[in-house]
Amino acid sequence: MPFFRRTLPLVIAFVTGVALILQYYIPHEASEEFLTQLNDWLIVIGVFAFLLGIYSLGHVHATRIRRQAAGWGYSVVMFVGIAIGLGTGIASQGEVTTPDGTLSSFGWMYDNMLIPLQGTMFALLGFFVASAAFRAFRARTLEAALLLAAALLVMFGRVPLGEYLWGMLVGVNAPVAMRDIVEWIMNTPNLAARRGVMLGVTLGAIATSLKIIFGIERAYLGGD
Amino acid sequence: MRWLIPRLLNLDRRIIFLAVGLAILLPIVHPLKLPGLKVTQAVRGVYDRIEALPPGSPLLLSFDFDPASKPELHPMGVAIVRHAFRRDLKVIATSLWITGAGLAEDILQTAGREFNKRYGEDFVFLGWQPQPINVIIGLGQDLYKTFPRDYRGNDTRALPALQQVSSLRDIRYMVDLAAGSPGVEEWIVYGADKYGFKVGGGATAVIEPGLRPFLQTGQLTGLIGAMKGAAEYEALLAQPGTATAGMDALSLGHMLVILLVILSNVVYWISRRLPG
Repeated sequence: MPFFRRTLPLVIAFVTGVALILQYYIPHEASEEFLTQLNDWLIVIGVFAFLLGIYSLGHVHATRIRRQAAGWGYSVVMFVGIAIGLGTGIASQGEVTTPDGTLSSFGWMYDNMLIPLQGTMFALLGFFVASAAFRAFRARTLEAALLLAAALLVMFGRVPLGEYLWGMLVGVNAPVAMRDIVEWIMNTPNLAARRGVMLGVTLGAIATSLKIIFGIERAYLGGD
Repeated sequence: MRWLIPRLLNLDRRIIFLAVGLAILLPIVHPLKLPGLKVTQAVRGVYDRIEALPPGSPLLLSFDFDPASKPELHPMGVAIVRHAFRRDLKVIATSLWITGAGLAEDILQTAGREFNKRYGEDFVFLGWQPQPINVIIGLGQDLYKTFPRDYRGNDTRALPALQQVSSLRDIRYMVDLAAGSPGVEEWIVYGADKYGFKVGGGATAVIEPGLRPFLQTGQLTGLIGAMKGAAEYEALLAQPGTATAGMDALSLGHMLVILLVILSNVVYWISRRLPG
């Protein structure tokens, strides 16, 4: 049935897209109610997306275990982790504390497993960044040298000790403070580059959205 | 001298790890109290806005980070909540990151106890809901419908702290502490620009440079950058906390990396000039 597989989704995408663009510019009660309703729908659809995500994750890892692919043990750990997390979450009814104020098993896992594990993972980055900087951050070309100089200045100027040492080197009443140099790097070349990226991404998103609304981009319909 | 060059170029990374570990650990064990911390205009931009809110008015806080960013954003959260409680503001908190909910609750509880503030009357934690962008849009439409119950399971309509707030239209100022997306950009695009409130940001060092365009356009009233920004905020409050305590380690860590990079480049430069 091409109507249900192609025409109807295209009509829904067009009507919803145009309606939401218009809604943004119509400050009326009915317009707001429409947005509220649509928002409720999105939340319901989002829940199904969660279920789909869990199914997809489970499917991928179950296949790895079945085929005993390289590193399949980690897939077992993933299932055990989900089972423990889900089990404690259900047993604690999603609450991190019990009615008497003590930590539930769910809360205990958050405080004593998730926080230290995530903290440790991120803290390790500091060590690897230092090692990588030593090995890879070399002024092989003029561009690399400029990048290196900017990075060193920002690193130096963005800690209190850097500002203090700069004051000692050039004098407290020097015409240019270290933070002025850092702010110039951050607010001029950095900001210009970032703004260019943002504008490019946004224009791309607008173009893609219009292509979807007007049925030019149909990849979301799937297959054939 | 020649024998030293290849050794330095291929320095065992365990030596670098040891040096980084010492540079961070030593000032934590023995604080050096290094000088030089100055408050930047970007941090003052958040402080001044909160300072200007009349007592009793609501301040929305969104804790959009996870435990990985705790060292940078947790002290920032504590400092801002302390400031809000000093000013007798009604703190309304939420989190767009599910793993941030526990940290937010911890910050609010800690600061609440410190200032003898009562949950439900002086501050509320709405908790987390799926679909972050829809949560922001939903809060703009109807707070009670988006969060019928708060993080602790209370009926939000019955909480005194929320009596003067039914949607984002009743908010004058919010601060978002973010470690990525969803975060500051989403609050600006889907919240502030549509519902007309002002936003202050707090961000990790990784994402802070990317948020600068919003600061320049005035879409952010201020921006607290990473642990140093948190330390500046603590300095404004004249109440040093964990961010201030971390400044020594941060300073020495940065200086060590700078020295390593300079050493690496000097050795590399010499190696290229050596014959053979």
